[in-house]
Amino acid sequence: MRGRLAAALANKLALFGGLITSLVALGVLAGPWLSPYSPTDADFLALLAPPSPAHPLGTDSFGRDVLTRILYGARVSFAVSVSGVLAAALIGTAAGLGAAWLGGLWSAIVMRVCDLLFSFPSFVLALFMMVVLGYGVANIAVAIALIYIPIFARLSRNMALLVRDEPYVQAAILIGQPTRSILMREILPNIAAPLFVQIALGVAFGIVIEAGLSFLGMGVQPPAPSLGAIMADGREYFSRAPWVLTLTGLAVSLALLGLNLLSDGIRDVMDPKLRAKL
Amino acid sequence: MGAFASGLTRTAQRFGGVVLIALLGAAAVFFALRAGQGDPALAALGDQATPEAVAAFRARWRLDDPLALQFGRWLAGAATGDFGASMVIASGEPIAQLIASRLPNTLFIGAYALALAISISLTAGVVAALRHGRFVDGAATSAAVLGISMPDFWLSYVLIYALALGLGLFPSYGFTAPSASFAGALYSGFLPALAIAAPMAAAFTRMLRTALLETLHRDHVRVARSLGHGERFVFVHHVFRNALIPYVTVIGLQVRYLLGGTVVVERIFGVNGLGSLMVDAAFARDYPLVQACALVFLVCVLIVNFAVDLVCAQLDPRRA
Repeated sequence: MRGRLAAALANKLALFGGLITSLVALGVLAGPWLSPYSPTDADFLALLAPPSPAHPLGTDSFGRDVLTRILYGARVSFAVSVSGVLAAALIGTAAGLGAAWLGGLWSAIVMRVCDLLFSFPSFVLALFMMVVLGYGVANIAVAIALIYIPIFARLSRNMALLVRDEPYVQAAILIGQPTRSILMREILPNIAAPLFVQIALGVAFGIVIEAGLSFLGMGVQPPAPSLGAIMADGREYFSRAPWVLTLTGLAVSLALLGLNLLSDGIRDVMDPKLRAKL
Repeated sequence: MGAFASGLTRTAQRFGGVVLIALLGAAAVFFALRAGQGDPALAALGDQATPEAVAAFRARWRLDDPLALQFGRWLAGAATGDFGASMVIASGEPIAQLIASRLPNTLFIGAYALALAISISLTAGVVAALRHGRFVDGAATSAAVLGISMPDFWLSYVLIYALALGLGLFPSYGFTAPSASFAGALYSGFLPALAIAAPMAAAFTRMLRTALLETLHRDHVRVARSLGHGERFVFVHHVFRNALIPYVTVIGLQVRYLLGGTVVVERIFGVNGLGSLMVDAAFARDYPLVQACALVFLVCVLIVNFAVDLVCAQLDPRRA
């Protein structure tokens, strides 16, 4: 484990990604204490003000500080994305491990459901779920979970099938270790790395889904901020005050960049064979 | 002959799998909407509708029949390309007609984006792998990481701001259908296609570069070199050909993101496509239309993935 940590620190990209992600996480967690402004109260003396020392990222059409709205909005976007992806990781991994272990009918059912979910264009599935469940933040998390369940189920099933033939798992089976303990203590720790990579990637894509739905007006409802909702606002007066939309998008890109670099880094560290080659 | 026959059998099996998923998808879409909270009558008539009007509406659309019967009727129609009529947006107009007028635009933008993504990634991926560790490689790799970190709808506005409003090179809104003018469609569709293509191109480049670098060090490539084949010959026949398999597979996997991306981007650029039709239908809660759009999108992905499977089987005889 220590070797891995050292390798992670030595991997500059992983370090950089981790740094960006930590900064973003700090902003998300400490947001309300970082800004003196309110995310929703209007200030009619500072409508559509360009970036200045008082408002580093300018203000929107209600005179609200854009940086403050991004900090509050990112909390909503991250909460939605993280809860959706974690739910998908739990359900998908459980279903995938079950499919690998039980095989037969259960495996066939799980895999067909995955094929089906996997064959919908991702954003179309999200849009469809908004019609079925209604608009709103919690329902976006459900849509993100549905998009990611098949990915986690397939990944964990395939990895578990590989690991199952390893001597230590076969040994555990032979000495009669209970199935639950084999899955939790032998299989899961050994397939965790790719699952973590997928979680990081999933959170990044979940933010894009949330932003897209809120951008269309189906997610977070005004005046509450979310990254997509702020950009949707910014679209209305894009040519007069382009900073609202572009800078919010830049903040989204920064968060995605951190998560993508971090997942690249985890992958490199966990797969030394690949790193040596590249 | 035997190999050919077994290849045919496998193709038939794969096709059977595709049909099965399409049927499951039709059922899932139909029953999910029925289980959802919305009432199509209230969606079409407004919340203030009188009970008589609602009853008349339900009778007209035969919403009180048993669900299984409604599903059977809808599925039988859908199989022959008849999706019924739109309830709200174009009340009474056949959905098949709406989709037939919108789908070509979406397919055009999708294919355009795919072509852009493939040409960018082939160039960047090959150059990065051949100049591994040099400046070009670093530039391509960094650009690719940046590319996958840009949401397409945000990129749309950056492109509009820079290339349409700023330099005035392209229109910022509106799309000429390819049936009206193909050149016009290429021109007016460039920005939306590019917005969708950029993150794809980035993902493809990363995949191609990794696959090429991995193949460069394989034994069969060393053998080919030691046999005295020229670098160019070895690259084209031994490295590139093998790296194409994961590359094509990733393209197949990304199609669902690509088609999903058309939804928001079409709306931003005012493209009259299937994606913007589905958004309108979702806002109007035009249930039969949403249902049909979702199914058509699903079938598009299934068809592309089926084609990708066939191509991969050609490239890699072991997988046939």
